[in-house]
Amino acid sequence: MTQAPIWSKGFAAIVGLALVVPILAVVPVAFSERSFVRLPPESYSLRWWNAFLADASWRNALITSLQVATLSSILAVATGTAAALGIQKLGPSGRKIATGLFLGPAVAPVIVLAVGLYALARASGLVGSVTGLVIAHTMLALPYAVLNIGVSVAAVDPRLAMAAAGLGAGNWRIFRTITLPLILPGVVGGAVFAFVTSFDEVVLAIFLSGPRVKTLPVRIWEEIRVEYTPVVAVAATIMIALALLGAAASRLVSRRDQ
Amino acid sequence: MRGVAFSRIAKQFGQFHAILPLDLTVAPGEFVSLLGPSGSGKTTLLNICAGFETPSSGTLALDGTDITSLSPRQRNIGMVFQNYALFPHMSVFENVAYGLCVRGIAEADIARRVETVLATVRLDGFGARRITSLSGGQQQRVALARAIVIEPDILLMDEPLGALDKQLRKDVQIEIRRMHLKQPRTTLYVTHDQEEALVMSDRIAVMRAGRIVQIGTAQNLYSRPVDTFVARFLGESNLIPGRVAATDGKSARFEATGIVGPLTGRATPGIAVGGPAAAMIRPEHVRPTAGGRKAQIVERVFLGEIVALRLDLGDGTELWSRLFSSDAPAGETIEVGWSEDNVSILPETT
Repeated sequence: MTQAPIWSKGFAAIVGLALVVPILAVVPVAFSERSFVRLPPESYSLRWWNAFLADASWRNALITSLQVATLSSILAVATGTAAALGIQKLGPSGRKIATGLFLGPAVAPVIVLAVGLYALARASGLVGSVTGLVIAHTMLALPYAVLNIGVSVAAVDPRLAMAAAGLGAGNWRIFRTITLPLILPGVVGGAVFAFVTSFDEVVLAIFLSGPRVKTLPVRIWEEIRVEYTPVVAVAATIMIALALLGAAASRLVSRRDQ
Repeated sequence: MRGVAFSRIAKQFGQFHAILPLDLTVAPGEFVSLLGPSGSGKTTLLNICAGFETPSSGTLALDGTDITSLSPRQRNIGMVFQNYALFPHMSVFENVAYGLCVRGIAEADIARRVETVLATVRLDGFGARRITSLSGGQQQRVALARAIVIEPDILLMDEPLGALDKQLRKDVQIEIRRMHLKQPRTTLYVTHDQEEALVMSDRIAVMRAGRIVQIGTAQNLYSRPVDTFVARFLGESNLIPGRVAATDGKSARFEATGIVGPLTGRATPGIAVGGPAAAMIRPEHVRPTAGGRKAQIVERVFLGEIVALRLDLGDGTELWSRLFSSDAPAGETIEVGWSEDNVSILPETT
């Protein structure tokens, strides 16, 4: 491979910085000592981390977010695996229609989904409940789960299942011993995507949160409208760390499998 | 050990007739090859036997018991797939043990049986290896081991040697034949390679466009093909075009186009007086004969102990002759002839 000219390297570096700096700028703020947001901070402390942990409303928001993200990623992966396996069995045109249907929540404007879901959640009394948030986030995460798992499913030779059936295995055993181990990287990738999608989501969560049940992004949103203290940056840093952890976990699984 | 019988089995995919109603019986312990070009329905027939396809009509019986509607897992079959379909995330041992685990056999018995079968296919000590670390020939033998370890009623093989190189293919053919002679299993073997079918089979069924054109021993198909398709598919042949002049059912008189002129040969059921036909003479039966037809040697292909001669009879009509190299004449011309017993008058199929 030939060396890239210096100007193209410089351009790449600028683009890279533009992508990363706004995300990472929040991290030093979280360790600031002062009570106002300033970059770079003049002095550092864990003061705002203590404040975050001491405040029950922040703690509860973090716990709610973790709950909702965990439950909705489990649901999205379970449904998404079944959907991906089902889609694989359809004919070419059925496959297109079903895939389009499953991608709907990712394509539709979130605010439109939010309005619709809000109406449904009010009618069924699910506003302000973990259940309501889990259902909404499962729906939003499902496209990513179906896509990720679908890629893995398509890569599995269908004759492997035939071979197992010929050797006497039933459908459940074939899924457990052949299909699932082979699509595991896609399933883990889908789970991580679903988790991060839910953990980051703010629009649906604003509509569906209540006074007692709210996710971390909703809590940040509320805080920022009143006052902009570094405690918000602490919450943001936690979110970044979790997202990185998720990405690392999915990389680890797909590498182990190769 | 059991026999399998297809009765009036047919398979249709939409408007396409993959298999027209046909009968086929494989006796217990018999090795039958389905030989034909791609699209002739041989793999569909195999999949029907395995239960991966349901026939549109007809019945499939195992030792007289109707198994047409049983799912693959309810049939005791061993299948070797094209490209093997080995489980890539399992070791050799786990692959071979899979069918035994499914049957709930005790672990100690599984270990013993897997060891035994791996020895049979000469893979002792390979149990812990990963599938991806094996060569094509080794993978082929794992696939065979996985299929026979469950002691299947029927062993099905779908072009199992297609992915191997030529020398290895010959070795494995002979090995499979030896294994079969040592421990006969009812076997249905799909191939488009005539040599494979000739080496391994007790009987060969030649398939074409969803039909079994002819079934019999290799010798039978070679010396008494029912039509020009079978003659072309099995071995080399000279096929001289012309029409049938007269037939009494046993022998036929034949008017060849061109210089060959009238011929007499064995009549086959499909021919009709006046109808288009071809006279078949195998190249080894075209022999140097004093006072025979004069021919020009146009081409000489040296094949070791055999030499193949392309002969021009004078008006462009060409015949191939295969002779032992020691019998081949040195000059540019030759006088050739053939015995009437070695001429077959066959219906023309294209």
